[in-house]
Amino acid sequence: MTQTAPAIDRAQASEPLSPLERLELLCDPGSVRLLRTHVESLRLGDRARPGDGVVGASGRVEGRQVFAYAQDQSFAGGSLGPAHADTIVEVLRLAGRARAPVVGFVSSGGARLQEGVAALDGYGRVFRETVRLSGRVPQISVVCGVAAGGAAYSPALTDFVVMDRDAAMFLTGPGVVREAIGEEVTAAELGGAAVHERSGVCELVAGSQAEAVLTARRLLSYLPQSAWDEPPQRFAPASPPQPGEGDLRAIVPREQRRVYDVREVVRALADDGSTLEIAPRFARNMVTALARIGGRPVGFVANQPRHLGGTIDCLAARKAARFVRLCDAYGLPLVVLVDSPGFMPGTAQEGAGVIREGAKLLHAFAEATVPKLTVVLRKAFGGAYITMSSKSLGADFVAAWPDAQIGVMGGAQAASVIHRREIAAADDPVRERERLAAAYARERLGARLAAREGVVDTLVEPAETRAFLESGLDALAGRAEGRSGRSGNLPL
Amino acid sequence: MPNVEAHITGTVWKIECELGQEVEEGDTLVILESMKMEMPVEAEDEGVVKEILCEEGQPVSEGDTLVVLE
Repeated sequence: MTQTAPAIDRAQASEPLSPLERLELLCDPGSVRLLRTHVESLRLGDRARPGDGVVGASGRVEGRQVFAYAQDQSFAGGSLGPAHADTIVEVLRLAGRARAPVVGFVSSGGARLQEGVAALDGYGRVFRETVRLSGRVPQISVVCGVAAGGAAYSPALTDFVVMDRDAAMFLTGPGVVREAIGEEVTAAELGGAAVHERSGVCELVAGSQAEAVLTARRLLSYLPQSAWDEPPQRFAPASPPQPGEGDLRAIVPREQRRVYDVREVVRALADDGSTLEIAPRFARNMVTALARIGGRPVGFVANQPRHLGGTIDCLAARKAARFVRLCDAYGLPLVVLVDSPGFMPGTAQEGAGVIREGAKLLHAFAEATVPKLTVVLRKAFGGAYITMSSKSLGADFVAAWPDAQIGVMGGAQAASVIHRREIAAADDPVRERERLAAAYARERLGARLAAREGVVDTLVEPAETRAFLESGLDALAGRAEGRSGRSGNLPL
Repeated sequence: MPNVEAHITGTVWKIECELGQEVEEGDTLVILESMKMEMPVEAEDEGVVKEILCEEGQPVSEGDTLVVLE
């Protein structure tokens, strides 16, 4: 089924939507069935209202079953009491039974003060059920309005958080912040979309609530119904992109010191218009994107030379690790594009625990059982070589472009270590170092040498890269050992 | 208006903006050289270049303000 015209009209309007409108825009026309519409709070007396401030529903998205709920900020600020919590828990329980995705529209000030500890208990039950489903069925949160306190943790436990430009998320709101620590701050400055697209809390930002709803639909188009199902295969495009030698070569400069935007490489390799970048403004030196190759959903992980030269730091490692585990949980093959000089050196990174953060990425790649394809575009040095889904970590197929450099470190650095005395004694140390660096690069860093060692399976020309990926994905279609829905998607 | 800061320790390779120039988010303002690579420093917001606080060839540390926008 395709999106109908009226829904698109509403998507173009930028005003806020009611909870019911969110559900109707998410689901195929006429498919929404509401749940628990008569429940009320037993503690609010005359102020109680049927539904208790949340609408639970089942429905269909592109013909596939989903479960959803939408909180109503116009009733008691969308606050959560036990009856409200029970509706969310019931939606989650049913999704687990049906092995179907969940979309939650979160707008809530948090625990309802009048309901006391029963409200906190309600949040605890929502969290527990969310975690129980983690890595088993896809869970997407769309934050509309404000998500405070428990309402901020509830999305943070799910696979994706989408915010619209006017939404905000925080554990403690501006009022409490002012009282507790004397900081004067607005809701937007504290936890607006501009904050959380950079903090990593939010994966995608939409221009309006309607666009945020459609973003959730788009995310679902890449995801299987559950960990036990295959991701949705689309028809392969009639004329798949055939990047000529010139296309990828024009994007990726041969000179190692010049940078480029690796997202252009991702777009050139993926089916036309199929790329959806995840967390584009967080840890920009690592690109993560959902896309399709030959109609089949995949997850791209790529070093971004345009930012920090593609070095891996704490945030980049953590971002990629979380994305790799998500792809592994839902059976999306991993396509890894490598162009990194290494991990970021220095006191700031070591002090921030880059060893532990880098280990998360190593662990995630080594653990993943989905098909894993790696392409070294220009360079892969040292720890970054191993970490970026090397053959040794279990990559199924590894290719390198013919003039890629692979080794322990770059030529200049290696020459300085190995030939320290010769360089110091030379008449022109700078030129001598350059000469020795070039010799080292030639003798020790060539992709051909890596292929002789067997750590690279094949050398491919840039123009053959897409064909390499297609054939690798075909060879391993549907293969993921032990995908059992037992490894949750821990919010790394 | 936020200052545009060096995102990595290195040397100023090229200054790619002028005083009074209107810049868009994502425009390259300065290119640093670090780890043997050119590393563009981009505007995170739109604005007008009010001050340029670095010169080509100057070593800078991560967090140093390079350009002030308004």
